[in-house]
Amino acid sequence: MENKDPLQHNCDHYDGHRYSDMKCRKYGDQEVDVCIVGVGAAGGVLAYELSKAGLQVVGIEAGPFWNPQTDFASDELHSYSLAWQDTRLSDGNDALKFGHNNSGRGVGGGTVHFTAVFYRFHENDFRVKTIDGVAEDWPISYYDLEPYYQKIENDIKVSGPKSLPWGTFQGPYPYPVREPLSANSQIFQEGCEIRGIRSSVTPLAILSAPFDGRPPCTNRGFCNEGCIPNAKFSTLIQHVPKAIQQGAEILTDSMVTSILTDKKGKVTGVEFVHDGQIYRQLARVVIVSAFAIETPRLLLNSATAQYPFGLANRSGLVGKNLMVHSGHDVFAKFDEEIRLYKGTPVMAFTQDFYASDPSRGFVRGYSLNAHGNRPVALAKNLAVDGGYWGKGLREVMLDFNFYGQVSLVGEVLPREENAVSLSNEKDEYGLPRPLIHFSYSENDNRLIKDAIQKANEILSARGGKPAFVIPDTGHVMGTCRMGIDPENSVVNGFCQSHDIPNLFICDSSVFVTSSGSNPTETIMAIAARTADYLANKMRQGPLA
Amino acid sequence: MAHYSHYPNYDVLSLINEWDDHTKEIVLKRLGPFPEPQLLEEKEVKMLRLIAKHLCYDNRDDIIDWILYYVDQRLKSNIGENQRKSTTPEEKVLIREGVKAIDKATQTKYGKTFISAEISEQFEILAALQLGSAPLIPEWATIPQQDLFDKLLDMMIGAYYSHPTVWSEIGYGGPAYPRGYYRIELGWTDPWEPRRPGAAKK
Ligand SMILES: Cc1cc2nc3c(=O)[nH]c(=O)nc-3n(C[C@H](O)[C@H](O)[C@H](O)COP(=O)(O)OP(=O)(O)OC[C@H]3O[C@@H](n4cnc5c(N)ncnc54)[C@H](O)[C@@H]3O)c2cc1C
Ligand code: SF4
Repeated sequence: MENKDPLQHNCDHYDGHRYSDMKCRKYGDQEVDVCIVGVGAAGGVLAYELSKAGLQVVGIEAGPFWNPQTDFASDELHSYSLAWQDTRLSDGNDALKFGHNNSGRGVGGGTVHFTAVFYRFHENDFRVKTIDGVAEDWPISYYDLEPYYQKIENDIKVSGPKSLPWGTFQGPYPYPVREPLSANSQIFQEGCEIRGIRSSVTPLAILSAPFDGRPPCTNRGFCNEGCIPNAKFSTLIQHVPKAIQQGAEILTDSMVTSILTDKKGKVTGVEFVHDGQIYRQLARVVIVSAFAIETPRLLLNSATAQYPFGLANRSGLVGKNLMVHSGHDVFAKFDEEIRLYKGTPVMAFTQDFYASDPSRGFVRGYSLNAHGNRPVALAKNLAVDGGYWGKGLREVMLDFNFYGQVSLVGEVLPREENAVSLSNEKDEYGLPRPLIHFSYSENDNRLIKDAIQKANEILSARGGKPAFVIPDTGHVMGTCRMGIDPENSVVNGFCQSHDIPNLFICDSSVFVTSSGSNPTETIMAIAARTADYLANKMRQGPLA
Repeated sequence: MAHYSHYPNYDVLSLINEWDDHTKEIVLKRLGPFPEPQLLEEKEVKMLRLIAKHLCYDNRDDIIDWILYYVDQRLKSNIGENQRKSTTPEEKVLIREGVKAIDKATQTKYGKTFISAEISEQFEILAALQLGSAPLIPEWATIPQQDLFDKLLDMMIGAYYSHPTVWSEIGYGGPAYPRGYYRIELGWTDPWEPRRPGAAKK
């Protein structure tokens, strides 16, 4: 089959078409330097940085190697195929929804269908315990990540404003903001201005000008369906092809089912299933980058006589302190047509309510994003989470074009009882399905209430009539948090597990607190920093 | 069920030649014809058809056919259902046993099957499910009413709002690839977008 892709994926499984033949494995039975489990936001960066550093890298990914030009479509229902749809059991007072809204499956992971809002965390986000007396401090500071934030922004050419009024980093970004603004972002900024709230155009991992053979965005608004023209960054189109050029091998449609250990208690590689067959990949170092649900699941499921409670779990905290962002969507109806489906979903935001403010009756804060929407997602959320159906739903939807929307990204504090554990139910691989428990705390609920009120104030100031609020969440984090104390955390500040020196955990699961910012830039900066550390260490000899 | 539309003159399918082939193929399949259901049985199809009409507030058989095809395909597939409460049965069981339970609850309350019940009676039963207050029958112990209602809503509403006829009515621009939008600011539309009759051409 002729390769018509603008991108070359020269791996064993992809040369314009996909082999499913495992005989083509580059390293076979050989031990490689690093095996990465999961090639998503973190895994893609790790694969690129480590192979560039001259290490032999194999990335093993449960899902396919997507081809944006032929696999993606401008269609909401079709885009569910990009999500991790495997059933997860979800309980608690505020049971979480999984799938398309937060989980990816396939090379690129969640970045394939993410919204591409690209924020750095603020300095205070890493020191919540010191400042607010809640949760824990991170073992690293903003300044440890700063060079990596800068590197990532530059590597992918984030489009953003010249200056920002909030946070430690206040611009400028490598590429200019995308223009023009969508109607929804315009009314958001106008509403903010009337209320005396500062707002800004959003930094996005979406091109405002050509870069690396990729075109600028054409404002179709299908970012959550996978960007066909490749204007939106994902590790699928950015880091992974470059990693492959550097020699990395990416094995796809391969589910890692356990991490292997030797008698000394070190990890030796992984076992994975491809097409019903079991294979092994031996490696000097294993990095688990399988997302905040699958990562603890895999660690817990890899228990041995020596590690009866799962790998890296001396603290008992693997799976605990699961966090999300409260992501309620606030709608108001306007006399004018807003057309929420046009333009990239988020183009304006405010972080004026980001820091703790004692007068509000809760700690920490949130971002408010002007947020776009499409018919299937909106109607389903209105129905299942908003209780609308029949005539009521039909009437709202006939006025679809007249609604404006603001969504919050609210900090959720970590609590041990919010957790991922193994259930008694088995999946197609015979693995226990993950059981997730989640409930908001009093602080979380107060924060949500305040954010909804502020969003409504902004929309009303601009002439919108408050219409409905749909509870929602986004971004799963925590479950293998980093820290200094091995009794109170799972990995150190370089994502190396306290218990097993050649086992790393690097993805959104290492987050200590959630912040009020979308997390992916921080996930990628942490991955780049981990890669630097690991490459240096491996040059010096085996990891003790 | 009369529906107003702000865009009576708009047909998203008239733009189809501007879409990429993959998307075109996917969307056109929603217009039918559809093969016979592969999993659902005749009575289930009849009941689900009525339920879909209530939930979507629409009587048009061609659109409802697409919804039933979608539900049948989903239940037939082994791809997961994203999440489920640990106490709720998997979606295949939830829906199939749930449909039976709805029928039984209708008989308990009105002395007739769901299919032969009055439209208002069918509506009452569904509205009660949403609140978890359907007529008491033992089946609800294993088929949580609200989860059943939400699952039906989730599937049927998802399919309904992916139908191009519905897109046209709500004034949704549909797939816009490769073309994209140039005029996204307030009050502006590209020349091919849905417009209300009499709206200024900006
Ligand atoms: C709709 C949507 C919108 C979003 N919007 C934003 C946004 O605007 N800004 C932002 O910052 N973030 C956003 N996010 C979140 C972002 O996508 C995630 O934070 C990020 O992808 C998480 O990175 P990760 O490396 O932890 O996991 P992922 O990117 O999910 O990667 C994990 C990978 O591991 C694979 N995997 C899992 N288990 C196994 C196994 N056992 N064996 C092999 N492979 C396995 C998975 O298939 C997946 O590819 C959004 C997400 C979604 C879905
Ligand atoms: S709006 Fe831009 S970034 Fe989003 S999918 Fe379309 S072209 Fe890609």
